[in-house]
Amino acid sequence: MDAETLAVFRAETEGLVETLEERLLALQATPEDRELIDGVFRDLHTLKGTGAMFGREDIAGFLHDFESAFEAVRSGAAEVDAPLVAISLRARDHVAALLEAEGAPGGEAILADLARHLGKEAGAEEGFALDLGEPPPAAGAGPWQLTFKLPADTLVLGGKPELVLAELRELGATRLRARIRDVPPLPLLDAAELHLGWEVELPAEVSEDAIRDVFLFHEQGLELTLARAEGAPPPAQPAPETSISPAEPAPEGPTAAAQPRPAPAAPPSAAEPRDASAAAPAAKPSAHMRVPAERLDDMMDRVGELVLAEARLVDIVARSGDPSLVAVTEDIQRLTAAMRDTTMSIRMTPISTITGRFRRLVHDLTSKLGKRIAFVAEGEETELDKTVVERLTEPLMHIIRNAADHGLEEPSGRAAAGKEETGTITLSARYSGAEVLISLSDDGRGLNREAIRARATARGLLGEGAEPADEELFGLIFAPGFSTAAEVTELSGRGVGMDVVKRTIDGLRGAIEVTSRPGEGTSVTLRLPLTLAIIDGLLIEVAGERFVLPLAAVDEIVELPEALAEPGARGNAFLDIRDSLVPFLRLRQLLQSSGVPGPHQKVIVVTSADGRVGLVVDRIIGSNQTVIKQLSPLHAGVKTFSGATILGDGAVALILDVPQLVARGRLEADGREAA
Amino acid sequence: MTRTVLVVDDSPSVRQMISNTLKGAGYAVVTAEDGQAALDLTKTMRPDAVITDQNMPRLDGLSFVRAFRAAPQNKGVPVVFCSTESQASVKEEARAAGAIGWMVKPFDQQKLLGVMSKLVSA
Amino acid sequence: MSKHTPARHGMDLAGDMVTFRLSGEVLAVPAAQLREVLEPVQTTRVPGAPQFVSGLVNVRGSVVPLADLRVPLRMPHPGGAEVSRDAADDARILVLELPLAGQASVVGVLADSVHEVTRLAPEALEEIPAVGTRWPPRYVAALGRWAGEFVTIPDLPAIFADFLAGEAGNSHRPGEAGNSHRPGAPAAGPHTDAEG
Repeated sequence: MDAETLAVFRAETEGLVETLEERLLALQATPEDRELIDGVFRDLHTLKGTGAMFGREDIAGFLHDFESAFEAVRSGAAEVDAPLVAISLRARDHVAALLEAEGAPGGEAILADLARHLGKEAGAEEGFALDLGEPPPAAGAGPWQLTFKLPADTLVLGGKPELVLAELRELGATRLRARIRDVPPLPLLDAAELHLGWEVELPAEVSEDAIRDVFLFHEQGLELTLARAEGAPPPAQPAPETSISPAEPAPEGPTAAAQPRPAPAAPPSAAEPRDASAAAPAAKPSAHMRVPAERLDDMMDRVGELVLAEARLVDIVARSGDPSLVAVTEDIQRLTAAMRDTTMSIRMTPISTITGRFRRLVHDLTSKLGKRIAFVAEGEETELDKTVVERLTEPLMHIIRNAADHGLEEPSGRAAAGKEETGTITLSARYSGAEVLISLSDDGRGLNREAIRARATARGLLGEGAEPADEELFGLIFAPGFSTAAEVTELSGRGVGMDVVKRTIDGLRGAIEVTSRPGEGTSVTLRLPLTLAIIDGLLIEVAGERFVLPLAAVDEIVELPEALAEPGARGNAFLDIRDSLVPFLRLRQLLQSSGVPGPHQKVIVVTSADGRVGLVVDRIIGSNQTVIKQLSPLHAGVKTFSGATILGDGAVALILDVPQLVARGRLEADGREAA
Repeated sequence: MTRTVLVVDDSPSVRQMISNTLKGAGYAVVTAEDGQAALDLTKTMRPDAVITDQNMPRLDGLSFVRAFRAAPQNKGVPVVFCSTESQASVKEEARAAGAIGWMVKPFDQQKLLGVMSKLVSA
Repeated sequence: MSKHTPARHGMDLAGDMVTFRLSGEVLAVPAAQLREVLEPVQTTRVPGAPQFVSGLVNVRGSVVPLADLRVPLRMPHPGGAEVSRDAADDARILVLELPLAGQASVVGVLADSVHEVTRLAPEALEEIPAVGTRWPPRYVAALGRWAGEFVTIPDLPAIFADFLAGEAGNSHRPGEAGNSHRPGAPAAGPHTDAEG
């Protein structure tokens, strides 16, 4: 098996496992949806068949009973109920585990549960194994006498009698004779039908299976007799069952293989329209192609390099001034930009690729918490860069867990509050400019303003007697170590988590907003950039070192007044910009740079979660297309950078993470004040 | 003369596996991801043999074969089902629809090539 | 090969090794891990990063962290952080492929000079004694002899795994961890002072 085919296999089975989960979860809500049932069956069937083709008996064998269970549902002999879905979801997880590690344990218990559920004993049905064993040839038997007549429709169906005869010859056939007695009189002759029969003798040592194998595709309607020739030493055992004596068959004597043809078995009429209705929705994925994610990353890297090379080219051409070179360079710039946009659009992935996991999570939480929870997803088709989507999964799961655990009330509590007993968690996604907004809303009890304030004050996150606006106060639940849950539950952990959510979103250059109304619910909105791979950057210099700031964060650039050039004097950490005071941070300090700044420092005013903040730099070099390269895990502890990029001269420059930088600067400023 | 085999299966990996095997043995291969795609394809070309899966979205194997057989130009083109199902009733249904034979999944390369040698003269 | 646990015996010491010099000592790493040897290139300082991995370099279009083994091995530091600029003409960067947090990663390792690819005779390899060596014993996979000198084979998987777990090279102050440092015993809890 070549690596490429295996890669296709992996991508395909992973996709199947995903859609299977989505369909099972959807089936829970609408257990009679024929399309879903067909879909689940098809997923199971394809997983089993594909697994078997790739020698994965562990997968194929395991799925056999599940396929049968859904076959029964499909044919109307059984119904979908919650336990069947639950067991099937476990089976789906087990298949995912098998795909990770061949022969992973745990399947027996699931099969036993399925069998119990279906009301039969596990292992009663062996089913799947293909019997390849051959019976031992009868020792000392004589040569075979074979008489056969192929089905009349052989030619129509594309059967090739000459190939049958050729195969028999290969087995050593002799004394081949055609029998024409069944050929009808000419007026009745249909040229498309086959009426010839043959007689042939085959050597004794050829096995019966080998002979029957020749007729593999002609079993239906085949007339065949096979017997040991006379004069052969009497077989020690009775002659093979299938042989018929005497060798000459009665003209229309049906042989063992030639069973009466069943009436063309039309499927139950109810099945027909179903096929047709299934056609429309299933047509969706047909024009798509699965590509290993690494190839997309590679492609993005190449485009990144192209953008970098283009930057160098533009630099050189600008100095040469050769008009024909300028024209070609403009073409290349245009193509590069188009290439970049196309590549980025290929990387765009709909949110729906991860909502399946959320449905699953809510399903699991429902039983764990003893609450009734519905999950609704809106705008699932909204697309984000695949890296963003991948990294969003964990934070979103965390927010959902929190909503289910703390936000939604028990059914009794909801009833008492005059709400429906089933709480709803809604995920909605939509575009907003170059951003995507993803909201997770619940219709639970809402955040407890006073509890948050008390906790924040106790934790020193809020001054005594402070009266923050809702937005500011609710934002504090993302502060490290903050948690208002009185008791620590198994699910939402111990106050770690929400700060991790914040960090992840910050890392994606996104922002979080929280709104909440008592008794009505809470809504957490994430604002995320559409893409992460290439950004417009502002190249700056601090103490001879170059850094990149995301241009999207930059509001304006002003000169640092001479009076403020030197750090030190107290009370001067503000700039007066058009009559508003803007606090500023010196990057030289934050970046632990050495040396003394020159006279003309610049202030880059950025918008952060806490309003406008100035960042003091030595020099602005200019804007550039910044290809973001992730930092190594070895630098995971360094929070002030969201990545690195390679500049036109080949040097590496770090990309400043503005929210982290501002937060850190604030921290240091507080530290200085306290000292 | 190169013989062309149409491979119909909704599983890309199975398609690729069968294609590789057949191509390795000197056949030309055309693939379709379901019965409907296969049917559309056969309006523009006539394969020397067809290998089809049964369970597929849009148009399943049986329906595909029925429609395929209904077109006069496809007379004499052998169709083989390959499926994990092996009950006699399904095989009979396939035969009635116009398939010449049935191959039970899983099968290995040798088996596949053996089957092809029964269907297509070299 | 090794997982990212400090499994020193998992290292393949029987194959070809690359020997190099660092702070006057001869070290060796499996040649199978070596991708290339670079002459010193422009290094970008990472403000706030631990001294062990204080820089980044561009290796054929990839951003690669540059590690200084002198930190975890507690070797003397002649040039402080300005290593690459002070380095002599012989200085090189060994570009190694290592598993980091379970992922194959590329890491640059500083060397004062690179000698040769050689095979260390198995009989020339010794298990390191638990006491009496200059190096933190848990970071040394084996000691050997080459061209009449001692060769130290650092346990890179252990060094990097410990660093990622927040234990190893972040200590800037030598002697902090002392000689009584027993493998696995102290500092097992989650460390959150990585930023400090």
